[in-house]
Amino acid sequence: MKRTWLLSVAGAALLSLNATAQADTLRVTVAEYSSKTGPYFEEAATAFEAANPETDVQIEVVPWDVLLQKLTTDISGGANADLSIIGTRWLIDFVDQGIAAPFDSYMSDEFNDRFFPTFLSPSVMDDKTYGLPIAASARAMYYNKDLFEQAGISQVPNTWEDLAAAAEKIAALGDDVYGYGMQGKEIETDVYFYYAFWAYGGNLIDADGTSGLDSEAGYQAAKLYKSMIDGGLTQPGVTSNTREDVQNLFKRGKVGMMITAPFLSSQIATEAPELSYGVAAIPEGPSGARGTYGVTDSMIMFENSEVKETAWKFLDMLFEAEWRSKFTGGEGFLPVNKAVAAEPAFADNADLKAFAAVLPDARFAPVIPGWEEIAAATSDALQTIYLGDGEVEATLDGAAEKIDRILGN
Amino acid sequence: MTRSPFTNPYVLILPGFLLSAFIILWPLFQLGNISLSEVNRFGQIRGFAGFENYLAVFNDPDFYGALWRTLIWTFGIVIGSIGTALPIAIVLHEDFYGRGLARVIIMLPWAVSLTMTAIVWRWALSGESGMLNSALMGLGLIDTNIQWLAQSSTAFPMQILIGILVTVPFTVTIFLGGLSSIPDDLYEAARLEGANPFQLFARITLPLIRPFLNIAIVLNTIYVFNSFPIIWATTQGGPANSTDILVTYLYKLGFRFGKLGEASALSIMMFALLLFFTLIYVVLAMRGEKE
Repeated sequence: MKRTWLLSVAGAALLSLNATAQADTLRVTVAEYSSKTGPYFEEAATAFEAANPETDVQIEVVPWDVLLQKLTTDISGGANADLSIIGTRWLIDFVDQGIAAPFDSYMSDEFNDRFFPTFLSPSVMDDKTYGLPIAASARAMYYNKDLFEQAGISQVPNTWEDLAAAAEKIAALGDDVYGYGMQGKEIETDVYFYYAFWAYGGNLIDADGTSGLDSEAGYQAAKLYKSMIDGGLTQPGVTSNTREDVQNLFKRGKVGMMITAPFLSSQIATEAPELSYGVAAIPEGPSGARGTYGVTDSMIMFENSEVKETAWKFLDMLFEAEWRSKFTGGEGFLPVNKAVAAEPAFADNADLKAFAAVLPDARFAPVIPGWEEIAAATSDALQTIYLGDGEVEATLDGAAEKIDRILGN
Repeated sequence: MTRSPFTNPYVLILPGFLLSAFIILWPLFQLGNISLSEVNRFGQIRGFAGFENYLAVFNDPDFYGALWRTLIWTFGIVIGSIGTALPIAIVLHEDFYGRGLARVIIMLPWAVSLTMTAIVWRWALSGESGMLNSALMGLGLIDTNIQWLAQSSTAFPMQILIGILVTVPFTVTIFLGGLSSIPDDLYEAARLEGANPFQLFARITLPLIRPFLNIAIVLNTIYVFNSFPIIWATTQGGPANSTDILVTYLYKLGFRFGKLGEASALSIMMFALLLFFTLIYVVLAMRGEKE
């Protein structure tokens, strides 16, 4: 009897202690984009705690590769944070399962107006906003000016035919110089193919809801890539080169052209400052079509969070120009805030201008469940083609069939 | 003599049983439960699915490729590492100047995390800037770079070689323990009788370290069958799933594609397969010992 009494007193004391000292604990899962990500969010947390002394903000920094795995295990065990960064292409699963909470009741017109609509729209589903774009990037073509000069190329390629011709001239310069750097391994192997696929008029998902890989555009783009590989216009061993591997070749001045995201510019600035390069639009196809890949990562709030008000306050701070500018500049992303884009550091940056120019052509990963599996099926088919283990038409038809099954057709 | 209920053998093993049940049986039960359920992307159970998840795994053509490669992978590494570790252990058991240093060098790879070793090998095998290619070039063995990880015909054998390399230290340790348990006078007596080194090995060393050989085979089979980092860090099972083994396939299924039901079904099957092989081996080994 006495013991229960003691316990309940202790319990009550603990509870009241909790209530006065720490009203809210806000947990935030963030993806590690670079070594600057963790310190940035810790700094933001400290600033927020200073302004809201009763709040404790806990930042969990997770490498990109294991982010989805961590979120999956956290959610299944009911131990997820209050806020998290996710790839916007995963958002539909979070919304379908009622895991992400809509922001609409918190968002004022002023808040809404901070963003470029292009970047906010991918996280709007059923007219509700479930994610705020924390990071955004698009892809453009990087080219090595010195190699262009040595090979006597005066015009930056505007079509894929021009690109192949330029690649041939650059490849002829020597054994260890390659015309077009081609990615063939790991994440975004499929995307590297879409650049040509879109230019030839392809669509990832056709109007009838089936895969567009088994189309004339798919065959032409794949044959173009395969002919470049066979002709020695790309670096050897394409299927062992990730995006980072190709970027490293570019930084070392061994690759004439490659397509990648704005963060290569900031890497070149620190790792290979003497490299003379330019950024241009991705070449267009025979009909003048072109497409770049737009990617956003979103900050989401979990439906089961008990501190939504505090979480929103933290987001409101993060998406102010001052904090956004620091993040965007540090990581080398495209500004998603209008105010940030207008700052001289971003507005006068030639590389970023080139990226801003291609944005109207940006296409985002389609909002469909199972996108990761579709991307993997496409990458597998492409690797088979690049290795010469399968005919272009048959392999793409097989992949399209598999994708149609995933889509439920 | 009356026996206290507290010394009943079942009571005595109870704490140990509860601990292992908590660590092994409970997750296994959860896994079995998920594998028979409809689960969403986030592992939340949505209904009963019967054997649908198991059927889905059996209907996936990639599963059979991964299964076949898992067998090659496991047998390749277990046999390869035992074949390498036995001579090394015998040499290290001999008394020679610098034996301590030699032992440290052999054991050193063990101290490095498996993932780290695998990542270093990924760099070493890189086609353009890899150490292996420059070493082979320097020796004049090749004149163009080999793209080791670009196709499975070179990537998979290299992965097995890396697997052997990292398994050797542990296996050598087991064998050294076995060798030091053999009394020296057995060898002395045999030498007096005129036995040659091969006879010493075949008639004395091999039979007496047999229990240690069995332990090495069983433990290595279990570790290697479930070993994830080497393949994941070098090729992620690619290109086009051609270096996938069951664990990497399982990881993709569960955490990339979000098919947690199928992934759980596959885990249960892998557990059963491993248990089956281990049991067969243990039974065979014990029968051999009795004879």
